[in-house]
Amino acid sequence: MAKIGVFVCHCGENIAAKVDCTKLVAAMEGHPGVAIAHEYKYFCSEPGQESIKKAVAEYGLTGVIVAACSPRMHEATFRTACAEAGLNPYLCEIANIREQCSWVHNDGEQATRKAIEITRSLVEKVKRNNELQPIEVPVTRRALVIGGGIAGIQAALDIANAGGEVVLVEREASLGGHMAQLSETFPTLDCSQCIMTPRMVEAARHPKIRLLTYSEIEKVEGFIGNFNVTVRQKARFVDMNLCTGCGECMQKCPAKKISGEFDCGLANRTAIYTPFAQAVPNKPVIDSEHCIFFKNGKCKACQRVCPTDAINFEMEDELVELEIGAIVVATGFQVQNTALYGEYGYGRYPDVLTGLQFERLASASGPTGGKITRPSDGKEPETIVFIQCAGSRDPSKGIAYCSKICCMYTAKHAMLYRHKNHDGNSRIFYMDIRAAGKGYDEFTRRAIEEDGAGYVRGRVSKLWQENGKLMVRGADTLLGRPVEVAADMVVLATAMVPQPDSKELGKTLGIGYDEYGFFNEAHLKLRPVETATAGIFLAGACQSPKDIPDSVAQASACASKVLALFSRDKLEREPVIAQNNEATCSGCWGCVLACPYNAIEKKDLTDRSGNLIRRVASVNAGLCQGCGTCVTFCRSNSIDLAGFTEKQIFAEVMGL
Amino acid sequence: MSIQEQYRSRAKELLGEGSVKMVIGYGVGTTATRRRPIFITSPDETDRLVLDASCRTNLAGYLLREGLLADQKSIAVFLLPDGVRALNILAAESQLATAQIVVLGFEIKGEEVKPLEGTAAGDFSAIIAERKEQRKAQPSHEMAVKLEEMTPAERFAFWEKEFSRCIKCYACRAACPMCWCRRCVVDNNQPQWVNTSSHTLGNLEWNLVRAFHLAGRCVECGNCSEACPVNIPLHLLNGRMTDEVLTAFDHYPGADEQQEPVLASFRKDDPETFIL
Repeated sequence: MAKIGVFVCHCGENIAAKVDCTKLVAAMEGHPGVAIAHEYKYFCSEPGQESIKKAVAEYGLTGVIVAACSPRMHEATFRTACAEAGLNPYLCEIANIREQCSWVHNDGEQATRKAIEITRSLVEKVKRNNELQPIEVPVTRRALVIGGGIAGIQAALDIANAGGEVVLVEREASLGGHMAQLSETFPTLDCSQCIMTPRMVEAARHPKIRLLTYSEIEKVEGFIGNFNVTVRQKARFVDMNLCTGCGECMQKCPAKKISGEFDCGLANRTAIYTPFAQAVPNKPVIDSEHCIFFKNGKCKACQRVCPTDAINFEMEDELVELEIGAIVVATGFQVQNTALYGEYGYGRYPDVLTGLQFERLASASGPTGGKITRPSDGKEPETIVFIQCAGSRDPSKGIAYCSKICCMYTAKHAMLYRHKNHDGNSRIFYMDIRAAGKGYDEFTRRAIEEDGAGYVRGRVSKLWQENGKLMVRGADTLLGRPVEVAADMVVLATAMVPQPDSKELGKTLGIGYDEYGFFNEAHLKLRPVETATAGIFLAGACQSPKDIPDSVAQASACASKVLALFSRDKLEREPVIAQNNEATCSGCWGCVLACPYNAIEKKDLTDRSGNLIRRVASVNAGLCQGCGTCVTFCRSNSIDLAGFTEKQIFAEVMGL
Repeated sequence: MSIQEQYRSRAKELLGEGSVKMVIGYGVGTTATRRRPIFITSPDETDRLVLDASCRTNLAGYLLREGLLADQKSIAVFLLPDGVRALNILAAESQLATAQIVVLGFEIKGEEVKPLEGTAAGDFSAIIAERKEQRKAQPSHEMAVKLEEMTPAERFAFWEKEFSRCIKCYACRAACPMCWCRRCVVDNNQPQWVNTSSHTLGNLEWNLVRAFHLAGRCVECGNCSEACPVNIPLHLLNGRMTDEVLTAFDHYPGADEQQEPVLASFRKDDPETFIL
């Protein structure tokens, strides 16, 4: 015999002002199966919860209804209270008489009637509730970090230093990402490589970190704590174990005119190459697209000079299978190129650069050894115009967001330019100076006051070449008049954009992304590093434009989430999952097709001698998210959702 | 040689050489134009087979009798083009493997029976494609057009009247090759969603649930209407669902055995006119 306790919450005035709670209690008291009904001002308060616990013990309740706010608010509160009183938490249900009743009706009498209906239907449901036990799934204590830039390295190091195993996957031949390309970093002007490379080395040498460079994610299956990931290790054509990194091969490679990605096209590289001098691992790869041997079958110059016979032209891509417990996505960003801008010459002028190209010019490891010269003729520019928001905050270019880092790096560029060329003139066209961050505003003030950065508030409308100069025409909106500057070099602070294939990776991982391709967090404010897919976390600029401090902070936040996950032997999951009645299942696999989580498997039913009788659907408790799509698809109603079974829903409907 | 003789000798041959263990075909019924399914396992019995313009029942459903195909041996079955479509759906829904089925295909034009080339389900794709185009071009029944012209209230009254005769004998379900669930939802009495007694609400519920369960699966063979002892024009209801999936999703049920169920699959260009 059911003994249900009904607890009607006033929620201060929120409910009681419309719903006659005393009448609701009276109506429930007379309902079959209801042992007690109480009302109280705030059941979510400490004394409110205590009174429920006391009632559970005193009356030996077999079910609890709290008629209160939305279950999204306090379902967990009341279920925990019930559990503490010794009642299975899934025997406690919330009747929502606030959002779905008192808040949306004016007429008190009708609202009261509706509240009675809602509560009664929940009483009917709870009579048929079963005790459910949380599902336990094992956790593989190994993290996958995708992306070997500063965010990925930071996350990998934090996890590894706490004892977790890490597989760090980087698509390029070396760790480093964009940070390795930068000259000096705002707001402290420390040399980027000087602070970056020790981290790269530390990650590569860490006994808990397995490094897979020149590798990409092929396939991701499974679920939190139990992912099965396939990584494609692209053929390097260089045996990592034999190669000593002496660099002879690169000296001899005859294919020398390949535009170098690391230097943003400002310098050439060979077909066998390491992206930069401090590359980790410092072992070259052969770019088979440009290699003369791969193009016409002759050459092998590198193989001849290699002292350790490390070159192997027969090498093939390898697929590495990994068991993974958690995934950190730190795939970073790309910089929009200059070809997007008709008004700035569609990328035709060699001396119109992106901010990242300017970084390479200013970098001591760059193509000019840190001397800022024009790519067209190698002359030192006397005047440089910097154009901010070249693409960002410009819905007409399809990018409405702020790229966040450009205000700061442009100030830094003007500063570096003045440090290297004391007579240099810089003019910066800007919309607003956004310098929120520790030491940031001071930094931009320093650029203006000490390093002569000439800020002009306004947009540039046109840019053209005249007498060897780049003519820049814009508006100075503070003076309210047009300006024209004859520049020797123009640097566009082009937008920070997602990796071009981020959407594909999002699909592979099963995580969401926005209209641009930045990955979506579970909640912008309260769950900024989690994705909607449990066990997958986001670090760095793959989520939204970020500077180095933000990326590093988010990476460490990811690590803490991963480590929290790894701190347990088993994960507890809500037992609200689909369950299949094998006796009535006909094995049509409609549920398999309908399931968005690949949670339904085919199971053989055999007789005692092992002969196959038929095959039926079987739900993987670890994968099932309890969405119920399969339930709606099953014509024979063989699949049911624990906690929301047909019987319960039917009783609830009939209780109305 | 008459077509009946041709098919008898083909059946004899198949059974004689042992390539099939059974032939499912048509035999004489209780009246001159009534045919009943017969199940022949010996080459000596093939003379009992009848093939004429009265052979309109879709025999595909008989293949699903529990355990019939479990021994992996083949069965030959007389099928009209719609029967082949039913076979494709049954294969798509993993209820049988077409490799085990030898199709004795034929079609009826007017009063004339014509043989169809081919023995495997996949051999009939051309005629199925042709029938899809025909189906798109014109509605299957005069009455279907009339129903469309009615106001919703008139249409509801029409069906209410038709369903009022229903006695819940479930002959439609028994005759339908698509009703192969091990347990029909209507037989699930925990909870009893569909009332089993024969009254207006329960009758409406049952017939509509069945129509929805056939959406995108009905091959319009007409077995249901034929089987109905109180002559409810069920084919009109199921045909309406076929119209719907055909116009909205270009889905012709049973076009091939790889076809995905229309309600559990999607294409990026699916119309979303129902989303407000």
